[in-house]
Amino acid sequence: MKKRVLLICLVAAMFIGFPLAAMGAPDAIHIGATVSQTGHFSSEIGPFKRLMNAWADLVNEKGGIMVKEYGKKLPVKFTIYDDKSDQATVKKYYERLATVDRVNLMLGPYSSPLTFAASTAGENHQIPFIAICANSPKIYTRGFNWIVGTIDLGPRYTYRYWEMIRKEGKAKSVSFVVEDTIHPLSVYKGSKKLAEEAGLKVMTSDIVPAKTRDFTPIITKLKKENPDIIYVSSNIPFAINFMKQAKEMKLNPKEYHCIHHSGIFRDALGSAADDVIGQSYWVEGMKLGDTQLINDVLKKAKISEPMYPWSPAYVAAFQVLQKAIENAGTLDNKKVMDNLKKLKMETVLGEEVFAKTGYGSINTYPSQIQGGVYKVIYPPEVATGKHIYPRPAWK
Amino acid sequence: MTADFIQLLVGGILLGGIYGLAAFGLSITFGVLNVLNLAHGEFLMLGSLMSYGLFIGLGINPFMAAILVIPVFMLLGVGFYLLLLKPIMDKPPHQLLVASILVTLGASLFIEDVTAFFWERPVTGISYSLPPMELAGVVISSTRLLILLFIFALACGMQIYLKKTYVGKSIRAIVQGREGAKIVGIPISRVSALAFSIGMALAASAGAFYVTLFTVTPTMGIPLTIKYLCVVVLGGLGSIVGSIFGGLILGVAETLTAYYCGAEWSPTIAFILLILILIIKPEGLFGAKK
Repeated sequence: MKKRVLLICLVAAMFIGFPLAAMGAPDAIHIGATVSQTGHFSSEIGPFKRLMNAWADLVNEKGGIMVKEYGKKLPVKFTIYDDKSDQATVKKYYERLATVDRVNLMLGPYSSPLTFAASTAGENHQIPFIAICANSPKIYTRGFNWIVGTIDLGPRYTYRYWEMIRKEGKAKSVSFVVEDTIHPLSVYKGSKKLAEEAGLKVMTSDIVPAKTRDFTPIITKLKKENPDIIYVSSNIPFAINFMKQAKEMKLNPKEYHCIHHSGIFRDALGSAADDVIGQSYWVEGMKLGDTQLINDVLKKAKISEPMYPWSPAYVAAFQVLQKAIENAGTLDNKKVMDNLKKLKMETVLGEEVFAKTGYGSINTYPSQIQGGVYKVIYPPEVATGKHIYPRPAWK
Repeated sequence: MTADFIQLLVGGILLGGIYGLAAFGLSITFGVLNVLNLAHGEFLMLGSLMSYGLFIGLGINPFMAAILVIPVFMLLGVGFYLLLLKPIMDKPPHQLLVASILVTLGASLFIEDVTAFFWERPVTGISYSLPPMELAGVVISSTRLLILLFIFALACGMQIYLKKTYVGKSIRAIVQGREGAKIVGIPISRVSALAFSIGMALAASAGAFYVTLFTVTPTMGIPLTIKYLCVVVLGGLGSIVGSIFGGLILGVAETLTAYYCGAEWSPTIAFILLILILIIKPEGLFGAKK
């Protein structure tokens, strides 16, 4: 009799207990983020609110992300603000995400300067913060414990390009034109060192204010120097203006490298963009494992990868976020953060693993615009095209 | 050395031409209406976007677009004047200046935000260029040269209009003295509306060239307005010749500064010139003493 009562009690406890656990579950996993829908960086990620919501829709169509603690999948819900590409605004909104919206996890804004400002909210309120397109070493040398970044450090941003140049052994000299902002400067510093290590002679480095529109003086100087490679470390508007004038003034190096050379760059320049090399995380046809998720998210968000080449890095960040929560099996901030830090996983862009200070391992590949199409040219195992060097001169 | 210098001089002159055209619109608005139009750069930006649309959508080249935007923006200018500026025109001069700054700054921010919201592609540029010319080792951009010639033609046309027509003379009369113009029977309000619309059309026309040479973003307006204000002060208020020369001087100064002192000093030169001219000749190089 006693055993039967005990059994009934156990069964009753199971039935009562399970809904109680489920009842204690939050309505959704709340993710906070900002997107530069306006301002300087809108050219790079303007429509990415759609990208985030498209991924959330795809996940939610499958029931959401499994959280073991609640014994069920929870839907993903984004709270997204327009940071206007402005540090003060981004700081304000991430504080709001932490204190008013009380999100479970934060995805970083676009760019290093914005991430630098935004990530203090994650640290102060102990909320896991996943930086995406932010690779300045300054972000990861502050001793912060609540941040990880999806991509590798800025100084290594183009290391595969310099590796290719060293192996080919054709180019002998390089001149740098650098936009005076945090990310291009950081990429330049690393690239200068890598170029020297690759055996190239660094002719000059012009560090130019971000709002420069007329490049006549620099182009005049570069024509005299006549380097094999002109390496433009800048954001897109700067690179477009430089290249337009370079063509107008018949500046003909053997190679142009513009670190950011998205579809906006290509369309604004037309034939002047042909044979320009830049960096891509992924291009169609690349042999990088299962990249179906990139296609699915981009298709749903109606975003084209060549126009917004950072979009695959965002998709990788979504995967990291999902995996960390699944591994943690809870939404407890500390446990999620611990799981993020020790995460080692295969993303759509290859293996992701975080350094002790928080930066990630995903990096870009050199890609060349050939007849309007982006071709990854190195390393051979993932390449979709061959490096054209020297480029045909403008006549 | 000489070839480099000539190259820089040519580059500076070509750049200065664009400054001049855009600045003249601002100059005429300030001279006639005593209105400091801080939305001037936004009209340039809108002109650029319209030119971009005409180029991409209909294949119309920027030179044709620079003409087509004129009537459209003249109409918009009249609407802008009647809606936002006419109600404040009766204020005393110093109050009018402050009110106009506030009204046009508000309009500028409004235009900027609305454009940023609706314009899917936040950085815009068109791939239109003509093959460059080479003379004795100096490469000259044919596109820029043609733009400069177009600007000179437009400036000459405007000069003739201001000197020979009744409306033009009325505009000049208002620049010289608003009260006097009123006494001799000039319809101040109508001429003011027209002058404002001409200023706006010139900005839009400059925008059509701007998008050919540089990238355009919805947020570029206010910094451009500030630069053009420097040109206006440099050249002298209400003077076409002053605006063009002010633009050319600034263009050449920026280019030479960037080459010989470093690119980071180039934006500063506009303000150094501005301070110098305010000390030495406050009415500007070609401005009339009041």
